[in-house]
Amino acid sequence: MTGVVDAQDVTKRYGEVLGLNGFTAAFAPGITGLVGPNGAGKSTLFRLLAGQLRVDAGSLTLLGYDAWGEGDFRRRVGYCPEHYALFDWMTGEDFVETLLRVDGFSRSEARARAARAIEEVGLTEARHRRVAAYSKGMRQRIKLAQCVAHDPELLLLDEPLNGVDPVGRAALSALLRQLQARGRHLIVSSHVLYEVERLTDQIVMIANGRALAQGDLHRIRDLIDTHPHVIDLETPDPRGLARFLGSWDHVVAIEFPGPDRVRVQSRSPEEFYRQLPGLVVSEGLDVRGVHSADDNLDAVFRYLSEGHP
Amino acid sequence: MTISLPRYHSAPFVRTSRLARTWAIVRREFVRRARWGTLLAVGISFTAVILTVTFDVEFTSFIGAVTAATYYGPYTSPAWPLLTLIVAATAGAGSIAEDVGSRAITLYATRPIQLVDYLGGKAAACASWIAIAAILPGVVGVLITATLALPSAEVALSALAAFIATGLLTTVFFAGLALALSSLTTRSLYAGAAIFGVVLSLYIGVAVVVGITGSAYVPYASPVTDVLSVAHAAFGVSGTPPTDPGASAALLAGSGVLLTAFAAWRLSRIEVVTE
Repeated sequence: MTGVVDAQDVTKRYGEVLGLNGFTAAFAPGITGLVGPNGAGKSTLFRLLAGQLRVDAGSLTLLGYDAWGEGDFRRRVGYCPEHYALFDWMTGEDFVETLLRVDGFSRSEARARAARAIEEVGLTEARHRRVAAYSKGMRQRIKLAQCVAHDPELLLLDEPLNGVDPVGRAALSALLRQLQARGRHLIVSSHVLYEVERLTDQIVMIANGRALAQGDLHRIRDLIDTHPHVIDLETPDPRGLARFLGSWDHVVAIEFPGPDRVRVQSRSPEEFYRQLPGLVVSEGLDVRGVHSADDNLDAVFRYLSEGHP
Repeated sequence: MTISLPRYHSAPFVRTSRLARTWAIVRREFVRRARWGTLLAVGISFTAVILTVTFDVEFTSFIGAVTAATYYGPYTSPAWPLLTLIVAATAGAGSIAEDVGSRAITLYATRPIQLVDYLGGKAAACASWIAIAAILPGVVGVLITATLALPSAEVALSALAAFIATGLLTTVFFAGLALALSSLTTRSLYAGAAIFGVVLSLYIGVAVVVGITGSAYVPYASPVTDVLSVAHAAFGVSGTPPTDPGASAALLAGSGVLLTAFAAWRLSRIEVVTE
């Protein structure tokens, strides 16, 4: 494997409990979403990557280095932990600056970088307040600031948008996309699936300590043959359209969820989308909108995890 | 058409030395450890030691010659080492325990520093507070009496050296103990209680056992007795100290280093799994 992060049969136990159970995945460059329900093993994986935990079996590398260990490669990694335990006795500015000094920046450089990072996360006005007085959302932002301030190549972001208000979420999501545009690799975990979906199509799905699937979200969806794809069509004549669609072999069910909508379940979405334009043109049908109701992360995850109690 | 991912580029910078990076930890940690208990114990140490030294030297200068032994006053009882113990317990207990318990240690552990840098920073900050309580009051006392022209320069220098030597050994031992016990738990309260409990129970326990058995070897087990014994020799006080000062000095320094090494070993094995 040649990913930014490579995990090969990684197992981590907490006594009798398995945190990760033969987890194998390669995280590609760019933004990768690590998604799974609470307790799936996301934070365990992040702690292993951050060097807080040691794998019991298997191998785990980031940027080609063993994840358990100390050294200069850590300068190329930024870590935004899930927990809110920070250096509460410092001001936000001191907090970021101190960690930059530990990174090896001079006092003036650390000060300039801290100011820049704090501005990027929108905390400039609160930078002189003690971290102890920060709200949950502000703590999330200052964590992100310390994570990006040293300009790392790989960012490990454990639930980075948790606790941030909607406006802040949009701003931080934009910041994450900017970081990607500047060549950074990001691994973003979340149990809120739509957040990740809005950031990237590149995902690794995890449940019960195992990787369920990885790659492009839509491609993964296509591979799930056991669940017909649900496609909604908007038309002023739903029953007229349904008469034609019902004759196609791959269509297994038709519903009418609204007066101007037809919901089709197809075992072959590719075939469906190939045939539909021809049908519309040849029969003069009025189809005003088509969208896939379950080509999203939530549905994909639900389907995949069904076989993994 | 070719699509390529944007390339990572980071502006080059001159990285500061390991010492400078460790200093960043020391600076912040030192400020963090300025707790009320620490400041109070330091304040009492200063007041008591300076008053004792000044009074003893002033009084002696009226009736005879001031020698280095005149400065021994603060070590005639275990009060000063025990005050230093309070500083070690309040300033050192949370050094590692708080970081591991809150998982804030990850913020350091994910930086390009080595374990020894982290521990060095913690040790230096903790040792600084202990040294402030264990060395500085004596040094200030000597300087005050020297300013008053009470001792000769030679005597003042000997007293200064005695305070520094005894204080350094106290600092090395207590800092090592504090780090070792702090690395064993995630609660600073437990570590603080253990630091205080271990030293105090050894002091009392040794006194009881010696009273019963009269053994000459048991007193070595008490760090406070070792400190008093070293001070006895350092200030050139007449009479027999409770233990051999050389052996006590070696014990304090050796166990301080070993305890710090133990803390390093513990840290290298710590996995942060606390929820």
